Amino acid sequence: MKRMNYYLQVLTVIGINIILAVSLNLVSGFTGQLSLGHATFMGIGAYTATLLALKLHVPFIPSLIFGAAMAAFFGFIIGVPTLRLKGDYLAIATLGFGEIMKNILLNLKITGGPMGLRGIPKVTNIYIVAAAVVVVIFTLNRIMISRVGKSFIAIREDELAAEAMGINTTNYKILAFTIGAFYAGIAGGLFAFLFRYINPNNFGFMKSIEILCMVVLGGMGNTAGAILGAALLTVLPEFLRSVSPLISQYRMVFYGLLLVVMMIVRPQGLLSNTSFYFRRISVEKNAGKGGR
Amino acid sequence: MFKLSKTLILLIVMALTLLALAGCGQSQSSSSSGSSSSTSSSNSSEQPKGDDVIKIGTLGPLTGNTATYGISTKNGVEVAVDEINKAGGINGKQVKLFSEDTRGDQTEAANAVTKLIEQDKVIAIVGGVLSSETMTAGPIGNDAKVVMISSSSTASGIPDIGKYIFRNCLSDDVQATQLAEYAAKDLGLKKFAIIYTNNDYGLSLKNAFEKKAKEVAEVVDIETYNDGESDFRAQLTKIKGFGPDALYIAGYYTEAAKIAQQAQEQGLKAQILGADGFYSPKLVELGGKSVEGAIFTAGFFADDPSDSVQNFVKAYKEKYNSEPDMFAAQAYDAAKILLTAIKNANGEGGEALQAEMAKTKDFPGITGNTSFAENGDAVKDIIILKVENGKFTKLR
Repeated sequence: MKRMNYYLQVLTVIGINIILAVSLNLVSGFTGQLSLGHATFMGIGAYTATLLALKLHVPFIPSLIFGAAMAAFFGFIIGVPTLRLKGDYLAIATLGFGEIMKNILLNLKITGGPMGLRGIPKVTNIYIVAAAVVVVIFTLNRIMISRVGKSFIAIREDELAAEAMGINTTNYKILAFTIGAFYAGIAGGLFAFLFRYINPNNFGFMKSIEILCMVVLGGMGNTAGAILGAALLTVLPEFLRSVSPLISQYRMVFYGLLLVVMMIVRPQGLLSNTSFYFRRISVEKNAGKGGR
Repeated sequence: MFKLSKTLILLIVMALTLLALAGCGQSQSSSSSGSSSSTSSSNSSEQPKGDDVIKIGTLGPLTGNTATYGISTKNGVEVAVDEINKAGGINGKQVKLFSEDTRGDQTEAANAVTKLIEQDKVIAIVGGVLSSETMTAGPIGNDAKVVMISSSSTASGIPDIGKYIFRNCLSDDVQATQLAEYAAKDLGLKKFAIIYTNNDYGLSLKNAFEKKAKEVAEVVDIETYNDGESDFRAQLTKIKGFGPDALYIAGYYTEAAKIAQQAQEQGLKAQILGADGFYSPKLVELGGKSVEGAIFTAGFFADDPSDSVQNFVKAYKEKYNSEPDMFAAQAYDAAKILLTAIKNANGEGGEALQAEMAKTKDFPGITGNTSFAENGDAVKDIIILKVENGKFTKLR
């Protein structure tokens, strides 16, 4: 097995966090549905992929995809009743779902309970993660410039108006949720095959908040922002670790401070201006169609 | 799409730049000849070359809500390293310690252990502290042939990660098994009830205790709770219905003290039994009269009159102005075992060090004599303590 050096290790984690951030961005940033249970879908993907690989000896790629599909399935199941709720109510419902799943994982025999699952083969490396990031971002952008993506944005901008324009808002919200869960499931699978050990605490409320921080820091509703947010919040603790011993000791303070200062100085996030560059892309595309 | 790919490239470049910057810095390292705060901020180029010093690392949560364990562990290792450096180091070479924070997070543990191995080039690591950390960091160390000795990861399965992974602590299995045997044979208790916290620690203890207790006596009821809860009356009412002689609380002192109090309120007259999660002055502070007579297993007893224990307690107090706890003591022993093995291996890491570690036999530490089983798990005698007049006394 090849030894992975420190930078590659951090870069790999960045990649996984990018997938998580852009997938949450699809749900919360583009479609405007605040979800506080995103890590749960990551957990479902991780556990499904791991169990398939460990118990049934399914190869890596199929177990990864099946894990993601399972996460998407749960996203759908949860989305149907909860996405009729709005704003705070939806946030609470997703939060509750996260806690339920965590407790299920803690108490099932097959998931190893609080012991988690260990002895997962190490498959994930920087190439696989990079490929996954490219595929996720590419497909996400194809979705966002399609009619479906525009419906998502319409729902965020004004749900009533979207409904009036003939968009079935509930269906589209469920779709966004399901796609987001699918991507999170991929990230979960990659996570499990990178760290070779998972337990339910990895996929709890704090992880969901961490992902949300990445999205908010980068700028809601902006894929590039989500990528930047994920990269920054992954690198920052590692960077502070190596600056100086004094800073290293208080690095989590700096981490928190950055978030506070950001929200005061630039509440819309680093790269926000809502979704300016998607609008630009779509304008260009339309212009092209017009033959001009 | 062109705009997008440009942005993407820009972002990736930014991320790489940040990473490169991160590499220019230097890790938190203390030369361990002075106090822990006198850390240098020199560039990596100014670091002494690998030939002059022997580098070892510690890995554990120094921030976050499990920080106390990690800091105690780091302090314990620092005391051991100081001791050896004052005595002239290992074969004339000073020992340099690198301490990395994990925040109690698995991802950070993987990053930190990779940094210790790849950047700082340590030959051995004391850590991780939490079981979940060791589960993640262990395989990385094992693949890189870096000896790791955990002084507090008690979950079962840790030594099985690989042959480079050692452990110097009371494993949950061993302490629960020995206590069940002691309670049944020496104390003559017959009907056991168990209440455990639903995490890896509680579950490991419960499984081992239940298995042994069923062999030597009877287990009448098993209940569970979650850490942070404060009302255990429902579980205790149920337990009381079975009329047990003893209640084994597999959890930490905060909840244990409350459980003992509520058991007393409900008139549940059972001998309270516990594990090393009980070992804290807080147990008596919180539990008061209700924990009087409680019997539990521990890895270290600071009031032990022996010289080695008292010397350690004195050195620790001088340096940190606080009482050493079990984590510090076990880390101190783990570091001593490791440093002795490094000395025997002539400062070599890798296979030579692994072989020397495995040879460790009856090492006289402050937490008892330690040998390693074939899988790298510590084999040591277990200390059994009892609360008497609000103080801990040693039963065995």
